[in-house]
Amino acid sequence: MAQSMVKEFTKGLWAELPPFRLVLGLCPVLAVTKSVENGIGMGVATTFVLVCSNLLVSLLRNIIPVKVRIACFIVIIATFVTVVELVMQAYTYPLFLKLGIFIPLIVVNCIVLGRAEAFAFKNSPTLSIADGLGMGIGFTLSLGALGAIRECLGNGTILGNTVFGPGFQPFTFMVEAPGAFVCLGLMLCLMNLIGKK
Amino acid sequence: MREMINMVVVLTLLSAFSGGLLAAVRTGTKDQIEQQILKFQKAPAIKQILSDVSNDPLQDRFKIIDNEQELTFFVGKHDGKADAITFETSGKGFSGDIGLMVGINIESDEIIGVCVTTHSETPGLGSKAKDDPKFASQFAGMTMDKNLAIKKNGGEIDIISGATITSAGVSLAAQKAQEIYIRLKPEIQKQTAQMAK
Amino acid sequence: MGDYFVLAISCIFVNNILLAQFLGNCPFLGTSKKMETATGMAMAVIFVLVLAGIITWITDTYLLKPLNIEFLRTLSFILVIASLVQFVEMFLKKSIPALYAGLGIFLPLITTNCAVMGVCLININEEYTFMQSLVSSFSYAVGFGLALILFAGIRERIIIARVPKPLQDTSIGLVTAGMIAICFFAFKGMV
Repeated sequence: MAQSMVKEFTKGLWAELPPFRLVLGLCPVLAVTKSVENGIGMGVATTFVLVCSNLLVSLLRNIIPVKVRIACFIVIIATFVTVVELVMQAYTYPLFLKLGIFIPLIVVNCIVLGRAEAFAFKNSPTLSIADGLGMGIGFTLSLGALGAIRECLGNGTILGNTVFGPGFQPFTFMVEAPGAFVCLGLMLCLMNLIGKK
Repeated sequence: MREMINMVVVLTLLSAFSGGLLAAVRTGTKDQIEQQILKFQKAPAIKQILSDVSNDPLQDRFKIIDNEQELTFFVGKHDGKADAITFETSGKGFSGDIGLMVGINIESDEIIGVCVTTHSETPGLGSKAKDDPKFASQFAGMTMDKNLAIKKNGGEIDIISGATITSAGVSLAAQKAQEIYIRLKPEIQKQTAQMAK
Repeated sequence: MGDYFVLAISCIFVNNILLAQFLGNCPFLGTSKKMETATGMAMAVIFVLVLAGIITWITDTYLLKPLNIEFLRTLSFILVIASLVQFVEMFLKKSIPALYAGLGIFLPLITTNCAVMGVCLININEEYTFMQSLVSSFSYAVGFGLALILFAGIRERIIIARVPKPLQDTSIGLVTAGMIAICFFAFKGMV
């Protein structure tokens, strides 16, 4: 039992790392990674929704009729997204403003619905939590890493601290829209390169 | 048939659960959210207008219901005398509403200053309403009988070049503030008198 | 009239939903390998987005705002969109089988297309009027279609090119999308 939990947990960290391996949920990955802070904030919010919805879907998997399962998933996910929305608005207001419409859009993040359908609906609650947590942390780390690269090159800072000397010319391209695509593409390429070995 | 009933029951129960949970979270976070909006959107504007007061206007506030709308007034004290108030109004801008914090001296009925709180105007043009102190400073010192429309509409306010609609929106908000102040003055004086004690 | 034109241009080019706002990227990469699927997806999105834009605007203005339950916006919008897509699917299947044959397989995908949900939320956040929402929904959808079809055209060529192994498939796709985004970047400051 413990072993399979570890397995479900760790697969989200590398083997099935969400944005890179599964190429799912790209919109927030591209849009909110202008800085590390935004990326991690988004990742944590998504992780919370992912774990909660996985748990609830898994608990109710014998009650939910197969025909209306997608509708049920959507109601469950939307509920937790709204919870996150309200809580973030109440306690981390500046971050809430920065992430903007991407918080409600967690609802249509393919990863969340995808995990509910592909994993939680078929597995026990403990395994589903492990799966959700693993996927969520993998997602958060990816967003954080992408955010770090973009913030570092595009703005010369990491988490607001200056990294380079005063002579550094910020590579503004990286924090603008096109930079997001190119940067993610190159990171994916790097992962393929390492994965091949 | 049984399956059908099952589907309906499950979906209804799920939605009821979701509605209940959300209503609970909403009630739990409502005050906190109000606080946050106060702190991050209104506070900077209030501080700018009432820069020389001896109290904390965010603490000393009261509400008046006006035409079914709840208005919050923030009171500023000079030497222990509650003689200044600020409140927020809004006017239609180029894209969406512009929020304007207006400060009024209740002894001389003069506008102390105005400050834009929220807007979604074009960066570089309409956004000057918030960033260019020259525009906002025109309102300072105006009394309640002055016409605060833009000059084109027969008033006394110079527009920001290239942003007529934004300027008109701000001046409309200021005019609304005049109206509200004149209408509610007795009530405001009663409330501030209590504050002074 | 002029205002609507400016709004349309801004939604199609300057704030292109895919390349500047990053909404709807999953279908962007998923359905752009062939021109045919890309065109189908583009049509389906235009169709659903306009309907969804209208219906969510009505829901928000006449249901959520009067009842003061705006915090249920996310929940109600996604349910409205999901049922709308289901309904459109059934309607097309019964009444216009020819159109269904073309768009059918894309319809279920649209529920989780964040472009649809995103535009509905933008309409509300920007406090658009009914007509403005209609124009913006349509224009955003056209912008989506334009970017998708352009991208599919380029991707069809890339298949012939010799791409280094680690860069193949999605990776080169993303870099290409970045290049197109640079082109669209030139529209900034136009409106």
